[in-house]
Amino acid sequence: MIRKLLFKQNLVLWVIAVGSIIVPFFLPNKYFQDIAVMTFLWAGLATSWNLYSGYCKRLSIGHAAYLGIGAYTSSLLYLNFGISPWIGMLAGGALSAVAALIIGGTTLRLKGTFFVLSTIAFAEILKVITITSKEITAGALGLMIPFKPAFANMIWHGKIPYAILTWIYMIIVLMISVKLEKSRLGYSLIALGENQQAAENLGVNSTKSMLIAFIMSAVLTSFGGTLFAQYVMFIEPTSVMSLTNSVNFILLAIAGGLGTAFGPMIGSFILTPVSNLLRGYIGGISGLHGFILGMVLIVILLFKPDGILPQLKQLFRNLFTKREKSGKGV
Amino acid sequence: MEQILQVLISGIFSGGIYALASVGLALIFGVVGLVNFAHGEYLMLAMYIAYWIFNISGLDPYQSLLINLVAMAVIGYITFKVIMERVLDSDHSIQMLLTLALSMVLQNFALMCWKADYRNIRIDLTNDTMHLGFLTFNTPRVLAFLIAISASILLYLFLQKTFTGAAMRAISQNGKAAQLMGINIKRTYCLAFVIGTTLVGLAGLLLSPIYPAYPTVGASFSTLAFIVVVLGGLSSVPGAIVGGLLIGVIESFAGYFAGAAYQQAAYFLLFILVLIFKPNGLFGRS
Repeated sequence: MIRKLLFKQNLVLWVIAVGSIIVPFFLPNKYFQDIAVMTFLWAGLATSWNLYSGYCKRLSIGHAAYLGIGAYTSSLLYLNFGISPWIGMLAGGALSAVAALIIGGTTLRLKGTFFVLSTIAFAEILKVITITSKEITAGALGLMIPFKPAFANMIWHGKIPYAILTWIYMIIVLMISVKLEKSRLGYSLIALGENQQAAENLGVNSTKSMLIAFIMSAVLTSFGGTLFAQYVMFIEPTSVMSLTNSVNFILLAIAGGLGTAFGPMIGSFILTPVSNLLRGYIGGISGLHGFILGMVLIVILLFKPDGILPQLKQLFRNLFTKREKSGKGV
Repeated sequence: MEQILQVLISGIFSGGIYALASVGLALIFGVVGLVNFAHGEYLMLAMYIAYWIFNISGLDPYQSLLINLVAMAVIGYITFKVIMERVLDSDHSIQMLLTLALSMVLQNFALMCWKADYRNIRIDLTNDTMHLGFLTFNTPRVLAFLIAISASILLYLFLQKTFTGAAMRAISQNGKAAQLMGINIKRTYCLAFVIGTTLVGLAGLLLSPIYPAYPTVGASFSTLAFIVVVLGGLSSVPGAIVGGLLIGVIESFAGYFAGAAYQQAAYFLLFILVLIFKPNGLFGRS
């Protein structure tokens, strides 16, 4: 009975998600705490990406654009007008929603391959615009956010407050994702991902469902962009809006499990620390880190395209059954 | 007027190389059905091969042409056998991610082995110019254009005139029917993939005397090739040739009138317009 309840509600996964907040408090130094912040942030970002692309099985390889909109909007408002990043974050989200509405409105109806290519094109155009409009965005030089610790500035001493903030972000996105999975919209998206024609014949409004999910995904990614800017305190077009970032969303989501609420989080919990530690220890050889990550992605795609979440769930189930059996013996 | 003509012709010359870099992508998409995001990485590898052969043995890229092409064919063959063959029946998104990951691996491999430095091949020909009336041409560019266009046209003739070419066209129209007609589908896929990587390798080799090699050089050509191919109707080889020339000219004029920074923006904008209004390509029938 308890077991059924546990697995029906993904309780173990929720325990991992919520419980992960204690980890940064036990980490010995700033270096490891930084990895924890990045892990939470990327978990949130990958989950946001997954909301549209994961469930619909239509890849957006241009989500770094929304990361960029979030990061640039809040930073520019803060630097030029002293507007708090908390408000800037909402402004960035609104701008991303508009951008997603325009972009999604024109490209969502495109067939698979064309859609994927159009997402890249939009991200590249946005990057070029950001680089060329030097008067507003400082171009390739990037923006530096001065260190003035205050809650209103979303800047703090130490890493722990950032860890809490990014953890809250991750939990919120996760809650939205879990809620979505059980909603009419979620079912529509999954059906569209399985077979668009069949879903439409059964009365799913494909354009509307996809557009809503696309906008949600863009807005949540943009919120993450603001957090990223406030944490790193330096943004430039080529690093924020790079294809590498867009690919990283996908890498984490697919490693954990594409189109599952908890998959991207599990992917980030495993891969972000590994990738950061790798970068730390073998950073001397530039390229090795990216080479290994690419190899990991290839291996996952060739041998485990469903990600590790199904395996993990099976593991929990086995653990639980064994314990129950031994319990009977006592 | 003279300047406009000069801009136009230099655009056509770059366009020839873009066409060659793109026909392979169109072929691989048309026949194998793979969207190969790692396409540009083969161009990068060919540039490095040309560079190292030149550095070690002193053979310039034109002299090492044959060695380079054989090397590219072998690399293409290995990629197909080790990776691509396993995912031929997989979901499209899995295939795309796989080629994306491959591109990441190859780029970082280059960064690891050869650092991020720009590596130029300086041969006597590099700064050589030809004159025709009031027009001036850079000799390696003229050579690159002529070889690129001939190679692209050869590919077109191969597809039209030979049995294997006909088999490829048959597969791109209907894979299952082609298989029922007795075409060895896997071997044809493999051949198309190898031809594709070899041709983009040739483009890299032709670029090497005029353009530096660096780990991410392929990435920019990858996006460019995608735009060209979409303009040309995705799987059409002649479409890719015309699309390449068109992009070359557009880029050249955008650079002349609006400045170099807007070159990229210009063709991305065109790309999106085509995607929205003519998703079957400029010359495609709906």
